[in-house]
Amino acid sequence: MQRKYFSLITVMLAVIIYSSCKEEDYSLPLGKTGLNNDCIKRTLGPNIVGTNIEFAYAMALPKAEGKIVSAQVEASIAGATGTYLEYRSFYTNSSGVDVGITVGSPSVTTDKITLVAFTKDTCAATLRYFYTVPEAARGGSVSFTFSATSSNGMTVSYKMGPYAITSMDMKLDLVATDNKACYLSIADMALYDATTAVANAGKIDLVYLYRSIPGITFTHALVSPAANPEYLPGITLPAGVNKSSKMSKTWALNDFNLARLQYGIYIDDADFKVVDFTNAPNYVLNLKAQAGTWVETADGKYRAYIYINAVNNTTPSMTISIKRFLMQ
Amino acid sequence: MKRYLITFLIFFLVTFTWIRCAKNFPVDEDGLLITTRGQCYVGNFELLGADFQTVRTTSAVIDTTAQTINTIVFYGTDLKNLYPQFSLVTDAKLDPKITGKVDFSDLTNPKKYTVISGNRQVKKTYTVYITVQPKP
Repeated sequence: MQRKYFSLITVMLAVIIYSSCKEEDYSLPLGKTGLNNDCIKRTLGPNIVGTNIEFAYAMALPKAEGKIVSAQVEASIAGATGTYLEYRSFYTNSSGVDVGITVGSPSVTTDKITLVAFTKDTCAATLRYFYTVPEAARGGSVSFTFSATSSNGMTVSYKMGPYAITSMDMKLDLVATDNKACYLSIADMALYDATTAVANAGKIDLVYLYRSIPGITFTHALVSPAANPEYLPGITLPAGVNKSSKMSKTWALNDFNLARLQYGIYIDDADFKVVDFTNAPNYVLNLKAQAGTWVETADGKYRAYIYINAVNNTTPSMTISIKRFLMQ
Repeated sequence: MKRYLITFLIFFLVTFTWIRCAKNFPVDEDGLLITTRGQCYVGNFELLGADFQTVRTTSAVIDTTAQTINTIVFYGTDLKNLYPQFSLVTDAKLDPKITGKVDFSDLTNPKKYTVISGNRQVKKTYTVYITVQPKP
């Protein structure tokens, strides 16, 4: 019995030693031949209509085999005005600055295809592609085919996507001023003064005001026209401005698209659907920079997230950015 | 060889049985450990708004004799959507449990929370009185 175990252990040890000690020959890796390409998506977060989706498309072939002749991108839905493929190849210098080297002529976009013809004798380049999301893509998805051609007749291509395009809208840096442009319409994503608010009375959802009242903390506020008049001190509402929106105050929800700060937080379509407005108030007081509020319009048609970019107590005003989602 | 194996198995089984039969620590219906502590009080009280920022203007006044908590909140505080936070003495627990937003808007019927000591023998009910900062 003991001898049997001893033999078995000996065999196992021999196998382990043999497999561990096997010498592996090293050889220098060989570079790829022919034209090769690769691509990465540089932008993160939701793809919003009117904003850019950025890619970096790299292509190269051994110098001895030829040079790059052209590069192009075909989008499944034609990009909006502003879509282009860089004609400069970028590298990052020692200071961290991206430096562009011109390799071709400015891109030409024809319907879904954006093309750069190379004018420099180059065998490697990385071009950036900026796709401005068109209205036609709202709520759908878009995909891309990047391709490059070399002087030796080779063609390579790289597919990216599909990428979902959000349904929401975005408006940046609206400046609300106390007693002036203080009537906010979520439907229009615009601010009106008392005169223009009359013409748009049915679309006014909130009133911006700043009050410095000794003994209490009121400061910058967004208040529904139908809220308790106590929260609208000194405000005479224009005729017909009477809606009541539900609100839910937030702090430090620094959406990257709205705040443009270092935080990697993104509000997407799905986030609007899960906000609970049960028993929500129709006003928020004491707003500060980096605060925000979720809003549901009185008719439930829109939900929005209003981010406070900056506040000014001296010339009472507040810079806001909005993401808005159509619920119905 | 066989004798060694049997001895080892018997020793292992005896050890295992002894460990399994050791006295269990008692737990309550929430799966929390029941200890010997009889202390029963609230050490600190916080009240957060929907944005998870405090709505208190000053520290809450906790009277452990009268079993009351008094706090003043900012003018305009939305009392229907508040998150209370209690700091309790070691091993104590709170009833009812706080699982989300709490509606404190009915100021005439202030909310009551019962602190239960670690030994689950002592119960003290605290009443939370909220005063909204008045407009001058």
